[in-house]
Amino acid sequence: MPTAWRKNAARAAAGLNPLYAAGTVFLVVYALVFADSYDQRILAIAGIYALLVIGYQLVFGHAGAISLAQAAFFGLGAYVTALLATRLGLPFLVTFPASLAAAAALAALVALPVLRLESHYFALATLAIGQAALAAAVNWESLTGGGGGLGGVPPVSLFGFAITRGVWLLALIWGLVAVGGAVAWLLIRGPRGLAIRAAREAPMAAGAVGIDAGRMRFTLFVLGAAYGGGAGALHAHLLGVVSPEVLRLPVMVSCLAMTIIGGRTRVAGAIIGALLLVHLPEWFRFAERFGPLVYGLALLATIIAAPDGLTGAAARLRQFLWPGAPPPPPEIPPRAGSLSHAPASTELKVSDLSKRFGGVAAVRDVSFTLRGGEILGLIGPNGSGKTTILNLITGIERPDGGRIVLNGEDIAGWNPHRIARRGIGRAFQTPMLVESMTALDNVALANQTALNARAYYPGRRLADARAEAASFLDRLEIGSSAMHRRVAELPHGARRRVEIARALAAHPRILVLDEPAAGLDENEREALRSTLRDLAAQGMALIVIEHDFHFLSGLASRLICLDAGQVIAQGTADAVRRNRLVVAAFFGPTPGEDGAP
Amino acid sequence: MSAIQLTANGLALGASYALVALGFVLIVNATGAVNFAQGDLAVAGGFLTVALAGVVNLPGVVLLPIAMVAMAGFGVAFAYLAYFPLRHQPPATVFISTIAFGIVLENGANGLFGAAPRLGPPLLPGGPVELSGLILPRQSLAIVAVTCVLIAGLQFVLMHTQFGRRLRATAQDAEMARAVGIPVGAMIAWTFALAIGLAGAAGMLLSNQFFIAPGDGTNLMLKAYIAVTIGGWGRIWGAVAGALIVAFFETILAVLLSQSAAEMFLYLAVLVVLGLRPRGLLGETIGRRA
Repeated sequence: MPTAWRKNAARAAAGLNPLYAAGTVFLVVYALVFADSYDQRILAIAGIYALLVIGYQLVFGHAGAISLAQAAFFGLGAYVTALLATRLGLPFLVTFPASLAAAAALAALVALPVLRLESHYFALATLAIGQAALAAAVNWESLTGGGGGLGGVPPVSLFGFAITRGVWLLALIWGLVAVGGAVAWLLIRGPRGLAIRAAREAPMAAGAVGIDAGRMRFTLFVLGAAYGGGAGALHAHLLGVVSPEVLRLPVMVSCLAMTIIGGRTRVAGAIIGALLLVHLPEWFRFAERFGPLVYGLALLATIIAAPDGLTGAAARLRQFLWPGAPPPPPEIPPRAGSLSHAPASTELKVSDLSKRFGGVAAVRDVSFTLRGGEILGLIGPNGSGKTTILNLITGIERPDGGRIVLNGEDIAGWNPHRIARRGIGRAFQTPMLVESMTALDNVALANQTALNARAYYPGRRLADARAEAASFLDRLEIGSSAMHRRVAELPHGARRRVEIARALAAHPRILVLDEPAAGLDENEREALRSTLRDLAAQGMALIVIEHDFHFLSGLASRLICLDAGQVIAQGTADAVRRNRLVVAAFFGPTPGEDGAP
Repeated sequence: MSAIQLTANGLALGASYALVALGFVLIVNATGAVNFAQGDLAVAGGFLTVALAGVVNLPGVVLLPIAMVAMAGFGVAFAYLAYFPLRHQPPATVFISTIAFGIVLENGANGLFGAAPRLGPPLLPGGPVELSGLILPRQSLAIVAVTCVLIAGLQFVLMHTQFGRRLRATAQDAEMARAVGIPVGAMIAWTFALAIGLAGAAGMLLSNQFFIAPGDGTNLMLKAYIAVTIGGWGRIWGAVAGALIVAFFETILAVLLSQSAAEMFLYLAVLVVLGLRPRGLLGETIGRRA
């Protein structure tokens, strides 16, 4: 629909920072009017680095992984292009996609063992990939030409025209930057952008609403590598030679520096970082040997003065110059319909569940059944295994024994996101939220329908997810001004309710709550009780861990009391309260009686 | 190369790597941050002794403590430039600031001394030592001996002095350390002093045995990084063992194949090790510090 496109385009234009618009105009005029052919060549190189960095942002900025392998993908792309072009005489239309694919294939290959590594181990492993590639390029002389590299790579030729220099070269390279930037920008917009951010900043919370953080990391890593491969192909064609230099650490360091100086997540940051750092050595040529020193100092100064990069600073400057860039108006649909559409047919059957941590049996042979519409209360002294049971059911821990059967399907040992997608939602003992996001977005990110739908524009899907999120938050008494605040600023009670709203936004059949009433005042507790009662009445099954007997007694249809990982009593609240073993577990054996086991 | 010479070379190289790796471990433990400039700081120490040897005519053994104290002071300055302004940022930010500092150091050394490798002063003057019929390279022996003394000294300070206990307390739990009245900021500054003093010693020891050039820092840092990872993050003896493993692997393969082939197999081995044991060859005992 052209009108929809026009509206979307208008919205996108309104979001454009006027500083960038001015910068773009300046650059175009400079490139076309003032730049000589040497300057244009430098601009072309900056464009190549911009592509490399846009890809690196996907890995470093969006997936949050300190990869040091981006230069290896760049180098691989360059070598693939050089070999295909010089040995087989293949044209750009073949070498470019081939380089992209080769880098993506290498990334996919190494991703399986490497992506499960944590922070520093991941950094070292990716560094090792780069260094091994460098050593291979130096050693494998018959293929790579060794230290001297491969020469005679022809310039890009399209439809019979060789593009060697000038405006056409710039148009080609910066056209690809525009395409690559647009692809990356679309990828990180909308509900997917929220999911990516959640997976990076709060992986546990992301898993609990069904976001597959591992797959997201994989996709971003492979895609980022493809950008690197493409940039490498262009580099080989532009310079005409490929030597092991493209694999050395300085390329990686430049890429990292450009990302930091420009900004980790904004596409504009990649472009600004690349333009700036490619030109910096030119500007400081007069400093001779000490020139590169300036490079390091600029990096150090930027990271101290503007840790979120120049684009972060530009966003603040824009806010300062043109304040009140309007936040989207809260659109709260009327309070209609029910909070839950969970079918009452839900049945969760836990049998002989066991878990050991070292020598400690945290959970021993626990069995129970839970049906839609029931509220099961879990009580027990600290360390009796309550939270471990929830962790086993939601997939955060893997059981050592026993079965967890949800509607006939054994989900024991599944990953958290798969379990969440089957309809088990969770709120944690300490609310796990994406602190840098608004309450609204924290809830919107749980909307899997919006995340997975491909039918319409990401901006619209995000608006839909937010509208639905607003209705959940509204029902949990989070006002429209609080919705638009970052959750880090919200008081404890509100944070708990945001987390429950997030769990509900994923439309669970079963909701699992770990001490939801802790830290709430009397009014908040009462409101929570009535919400939970409503949910059960609408067919949802709930498991609630709570220390406050009073809170549970009018609420739970059944209680299970645990001690040292074992069920010591179950039944109605009254029956459990009178149970001698339960009293002993909480208060110690009654004086005069034998210490019961 | 004879087996003895090979062993001596491997030990000397491993000893220098160990000193760089130990500094690395101290800083990782105290701050949770990876210091990417550790190698460049070692090179800076090497060039400092080269410069000192050009001014005063003293044996290396005397220059060593001077260089270490100077580098320790420099380490404090380094902490105030590259770490303290960013201590509340995510660890990746400090990682990058140390990379930036490393670039500054490397290019500073390049600007002042030029890119060519320089020879540092020997620890002890004189030729090879003859010991019950075996000819032993004197410098290698001296390097190993000095390293042993430094590591033993570090171990003593950390384990048996009140100062060391405070350093360890800071490394284990800064919040708790602050709560019991330990000046955490000062302890972190001391940690940087100690770590970079050790790096300076490593640089001096390397500069005589293997020459030293401004571009060597990256390679040194990589080897220390590998040593620390193989040894399990944050463990002193793990880092020493890791450093020796890396050094012997490199020395032996370089003789059998070539230097660049040795590098390639080293990195491939790292990938295999991490693939099989995601927490390092010798395991990780301290809590994770991301």
